[in-house]
Amino acid sequence: MNTVLQLADVEVSFGGIHALRGVSLTVEKGEQLCVIGPSGSGKSTLLGLMNGRLLAHTGSVHVFGQDVAALTARKLRGVRSELAWVPQNLGLVPNLRVLQNVLCGRAGRVGFFGLLRRMALTSMNEAEEVRALLERLGIPEKLYERTDTLSGGQQQRVAIARALYQKPAAILADEPVASVDPGRARSLLQLLTTLAKEEGITLMMSLHHVELAREFFPRLVGLQAGKVVFDQPASETSEEELRELYAVGEE
Amino acid sequence: MTKLSWSKNWLGSRRLTLLLAVVLFVVGLVALKADPREMQPSEGGLKLAGKFLQAAVQPALDYQADDLPASAPSFWSKVGRSLALTLRYAIVAMSLALVGGIVFGVLGSRAWWPAVAQGSRASGLLFFFLKCLRLVVRGVATLARSVHELLWALLFLTAVGTSPLAAVLAIALPYGGTLAKVFSELLDEEDASAAGVLWAGGASSLAAFFTGVGVRAFPDLVSYTLYRLECAVRSSAILGFLGIPTIGYHIATAYEDGHLREIWTYLYVLLAAVMVVDWWGALVRKRLSRSKPAREAGSRHDTAEELHRKRPKSWALRLSLVAAMAAVMLGWMTEKQWQSELPKERRQANLERFMMEIVPYPVRQENDWGELWPWLGERLWTKGAIGLHRTFHIGTIAILIAGAAALMVVPFAARSLAGRDPLGLPGGREMVSGFRAGVGWLLRIAALLMRSIPEYILAFLLLQVFGPTVWPLIFALALHNGGILVRLGAEVVDNRTIRAAELLVVQGGTRRATFLGVLLPDSFSRFVLLIFYRWETCIREATVLGMLGVLSLGSLIDEANTRLYYDDLFLYVLMGAALVFAGDIVSDLVRRRLRGPMVRSSAFRSG
Repeated sequence: MNTVLQLADVEVSFGGIHALRGVSLTVEKGEQLCVIGPSGSGKSTLLGLMNGRLLAHTGSVHVFGQDVAALTARKLRGVRSELAWVPQNLGLVPNLRVLQNVLCGRAGRVGFFGLLRRMALTSMNEAEEVRALLERLGIPEKLYERTDTLSGGQQQRVAIARALYQKPAAILADEPVASVDPGRARSLLQLLTTLAKEEGITLMMSLHHVELAREFFPRLVGLQAGKVVFDQPASETSEEELRELYAVGEE
Repeated sequence: MTKLSWSKNWLGSRRLTLLLAVVLFVVGLVALKADPREMQPSEGGLKLAGKFLQAAVQPALDYQADDLPASAPSFWSKVGRSLALTLRYAIVAMSLALVGGIVFGVLGSRAWWPAVAQGSRASGLLFFFLKCLRLVVRGVATLARSVHELLWALLFLTAVGTSPLAAVLAIALPYGGTLAKVFSELLDEEDASAAGVLWAGGASSLAAFFTGVGVRAFPDLVSYTLYRLECAVRSSAILGFLGIPTIGYHIATAYEDGHLREIWTYLYVLLAAVMVVDWWGALVRKRLSRSKPAREAGSRHDTAEELHRKRPKSWALRLSLVAAMAAVMLGWMTEKQWQSELPKERRQANLERFMMEIVPYPVRQENDWGELWPWLGERLWTKGAIGLHRTFHIGTIAILIAGAAALMVVPFAARSLAGRDPLGLPGGREMVSGFRAGVGWLLRIAALLMRSIPEYILAFLLLQVFGPTVWPLIFALALHNGGILVRLGAEVVDNRTIRAAELLVVQGGTRRATFLGVLLPDSFSRFVLLIFYRWETCIREATVLGMLGVLSLGSLIDEANTRLYYDDLFLYVLMGAALVFAGDIVSDLVRRRLRGPMVRSSAFRSG
């Protein structure tokens, strides 16, 4: 049970356009890897397959050793509750307090009414747990602020707090730093990779910035036009390979 | 070019849109045989208007009649009671409409549909079922709102007799339909990214929908509900014209008695009530969209409990919630008898008779539904067709006038242009300081007044001055909707930052040039969108204004009602509903084509 995720010869197409072709990938527990590639190369599709937001048309996707396509709805929810997702736009509810947004992270584990109870009548223990989590992310004093009053960087931290509060086996993040300046992006990635390592959480991310990907991730997966071009340690990835990976966009 | 882009271009084209508007306007005038010379009021009408305006500055503070029995209640207790009744019916009706609106609004939206991976046969069937359900629910909601509340009231009154319940249901049905329709739209338009994250984290579709979409749309839902409450107060007042003792009833009787000053007292009271609701809605909207910062900022070293104590909280919102709940409870509890005072058997008999008499007369006589067609044809092709097209044209001409007038007023009323500093850029000293801002303020107040007075009362008063032509109806609709369009148009101008407009001002352009050269073209499709929204409601309103005695569907309905021809009454009500239903669908189609980034505003939506 050390393999978190296994894709075997996966194809996905949308309306005749191939988003992924013949992709195979294995992710082990505790790994941190980053998917890079030009826009439209299939990065989001690849991440979407992993928590069953998308289904493969051919090939198989196994999460925690279970075939995603064959799972019942209930079992699929069980699998998903082990996977946290941080999308590019963060997917926070702007008019809720930070606390309530973080509590949403456990929605898959506590059920609808459990979630309602926690959001409406938060016990002091639960609030303290969230505060401690926010403290690790550097914004404990924002616990009861309305989420849309926070800055962009602070909101990203809230989204990460929500993902950590889920107590997942893996975090999937789709371009989480696309809209902040390089300094903020760096400190956020630093935080996320460190926390994931401490908690033993597998981390998969897609990034635009190749520099950031090489700096923070030991393993890089290069995607181009739906195909895996390379899958290797970051230290072995040459400038030449990166230039070729992005060359397609300039044609 | 594809067909879609052709029609898109066509609708976006300013020249063609204006041409269409002019054609509709002229055709309407010809079809209505509306002679602009008829706009001149009669001599008696002028005199009345003079007296009426004179009465405006001295509203009655006591009864105008002096031959009242000593047992009569004091004037202000009568006014107070009619206001209380108006508010009570509005609030109780809204509480019912809200329940219906939420249930039908959710069922009529796509947002709650389970996010099942599509493709399998089971999910295909499920989605087919959901699509059917959505269509049926939306159809029912549109049907409920396509019959005007005044006509619902008329139907209920004739069916079961005067009762508070009938008044409340008459408002609750169409308002529930409108709320449902707008709620569905709001839920479907809401950003579902948070719901997606919850769902991807293993939450059930229900939990994801509720927190991710429902909670997120909550401020908009509340804001629209409060706008509808304001409308409900107006509708409730209007029901008085059918004999239910709300404010409209007292206005009508005061007019009959020639007590013009008393009319103004009631009007001012109604205006005040509407404006208080308007102001309250604005307050709640503001607090829901932007929370006030906490008085004491939390610190890094606080415990969760300390942070909880220091959390930002809004007393305005808490008080509003308590007040709203108290108002609903009071509204329901203070009415001693919701049902009509008639004994149950009588009501039953009335209903049975009504159900029998809405069956067309020849069919009833011969007991043969084959008789329906000649009867129907006779009515459809003579009176019905005339009433229908006149109703359509009255509504259309009114909205065109309102739209044109609003476009002319907006540059002077919009805050960003009316001040000394256009678009917030330093404007330099003025000849008469504050003149421009003053004019803007006056225009905004006038627009507020216009939209606060119900069309029906405006039309009633104008009819006395201009006599029974179509002009009073058109003016009444145009004034009320013009008031709404000025506010919405000003919001469009104020809420958008357009660099090109700022550039023009910086380069020395005048306000007029900025509006005509940049702001108007930039927001043209939005203005058209607004006008279409109001066009639909104008048509809806036009179906009842005729009841004041100008040939159109409303007058046919009124005539059938006085003659107790319930079969005719029912038919004309259905024709009106069909017209509004069609207008609704056209408006929806146009809007889907024109849709750009939306301006979030409550009155922006149909209703």
